[in-house]
Amino acid sequence: MILKKIEVNINGRDYCLDVEENLRLIDLLRDKLKLTGTKEGCGEGECGACTVIMGGKIVNSCLVLAFQADKSRIITIEGIEEDDVIKNSFIEEGAVQCGFCTPGMVLAAKSLLDKNLNPTEEEIREAISGNLCRCTGYNKIVSAVKKAAKLKRGGDGE
Amino acid sequence: MNELKIVGKSINKIDAKDKVDGSAIYPQDIYLENMAFGVTIRSTRPHAFIKVDTKEAGKIDGVLKVFTYKDVPGKNHHGVVLKDHEVFASKKVRRIGDPIAFIVAETKEIAEYAKNFIKVEYEDIPAVFDPEEAMKEDSPKVHDRDNVFYHFKIRRGDVEKAFKECHVIVENVYKVPMVDHAFLQPEAGVAFLDEDGRVVVIASTQYPHFDQEEIAESLGVNKEMVRVLTPAVGGAFGGREDITVQIHLAIAALTLKRPVKTVYSREESFLAHSKRHAMKMYYKTGALKDGTLLALEAKIIGDSGAYASWAMNVLRKSAVHATGPYYIPNVKVDSFAVYTNNPFTGAMRGFGATQVPIAYEQQMDILAEKLGLTPIEIRLKNCFREGSETATGQVLEGFVPLERCIEELKSF
Repeated sequence: MILKKIEVNINGRDYCLDVEENLRLIDLLRDKLKLTGTKEGCGEGECGACTVIMGGKIVNSCLVLAFQADKSRIITIEGIEEDDVIKNSFIEEGAVQCGFCTPGMVLAAKSLLDKNLNPTEEEIREAISGNLCRCTGYNKIVSAVKKAAKLKRGGDGE
Repeated sequence: MNELKIVGKSINKIDAKDKVDGSAIYPQDIYLENMAFGVTIRSTRPHAFIKVDTKEAGKIDGVLKVFTYKDVPGKNHHGVVLKDHEVFASKKVRRIGDPIAFIVAETKEIAEYAKNFIKVEYEDIPAVFDPEEAMKEDSPKVHDRDNVFYHFKIRRGDVEKAFKECHVIVENVYKVPMVDHAFLQPEAGVAFLDEDGRVVVIASTQYPHFDQEEIAESLGVNKEMVRVLTPAVGGAFGGREDITVQIHLAIAALTLKRPVKTVYSREESFLAHSKRHAMKMYYKTGALKDGTLLALEAKIIGDSGAYASWAMNVLRKSAVHATGPYYIPNVKVDSFAVYTNNPFTGAMRGFGATQVPIAYEQQMDILAEKLGLTPIEIRLKNCFREGSETATGQVLEGFVPLERCIEELKSF
């Protein structure tokens, strides 16, 4: 197996790694670095459970080969700060049920709110459209993102 | 008086914090020292006698053992009501997806590679995919018995006489397909031996206590020698009520005396667990001129696929709910659970109560149309109220707010 050397920054930490050329980014994160907050739901880019932020954009880490992450900055759910507004809103709005979609949802929401602090409901639904949830029916997730946006704008979230 | 601290208040879900942090542990997130990896070989034919040759796969460097029915120490069966599943198919497969062998290797890659060297010889036999075909005497038999393994009857009043008195009778056939739960976390599990020699199985399951019994029976050991731990469960909706990874992992860990893990792909998840019952529903509903329901005759045929799972409970529930929330004095319902060579069906949200509304509510709308009533009017005329008696003789006491619910709909 051919190994490729990559330099990648994950959650603020620099890594220099030798990776197999067919290794997926999700396997690097989960199997090698034990960042298991990134979930695999389908392995083919349909469900979004493996969402991470790479170079400021959300990607399905099951569709990215590890060597493609060379020289990039990656944020996984473990890289979101402890008392994050989006995470707290998800908890408070009841947007978390089985939790398997949650890390990807939180990152998709973060990616939206990093660019747009005043999203319409349609924009929120569009932003999480690549992330499937089988428990909530999405409404509470949308409420959580709305609340987080408001809190980030300086409102009280109500 | 003590003030209620929780009731009436919105409280945060106890494990929500771990889940938003990504630190909640699902079975696929468990990595143990010296852990081997298992992959399952499944049938690719719906009905066939099989001969399995695992010799070549067993010789591959890194393959620890290939398990088949011969390696099941106890009973080679499981099932929530009837023990009609085999842990590994022994002589024949009854659906696409039946487990045939479990390859355990040092790594997932080796186990996957070894799959190519398992030889399964299929001798196809006639299969049956339509439950009504399967009900016929001369149809292929999925098990060594009649394909109809459950028939539930409701008899109330005199349907034949009542239909003669009806002003309008609506007769239709309704079909609903199988549905997959598609819970987001594919099946996964880890098994190992603890310091007391007990087999520990960690799996996302809806029934750890059931699993414990089924695993113990297949291992041929006392229940006390088996522990089942349930970590975070990534959705289930009824789809984790039957055995999938549990027994394979337990046998492998006990035999190899090493931790063994398996993780299904999404595709394998679809093959491994139950579906919602496809149903064919024959409905004949009769009413008087003013819309009062007088008679219902229904035949409900549930496709159980290759295994029973919860079919009896599901088809019983379909029959019990066959009238919908409407009072009908004369009722004749027959529901059947039938084996076919389709994917097996079991529990899924509603447990048989979900399919029948497709039939009884459309019957209501069609009756209303024929009688010149609105859908609201015909429902208000017949809906269950406090004191109503259902077709099974249950008197509804207490709170029956359906009338109010329908009234509220008037404004839409």
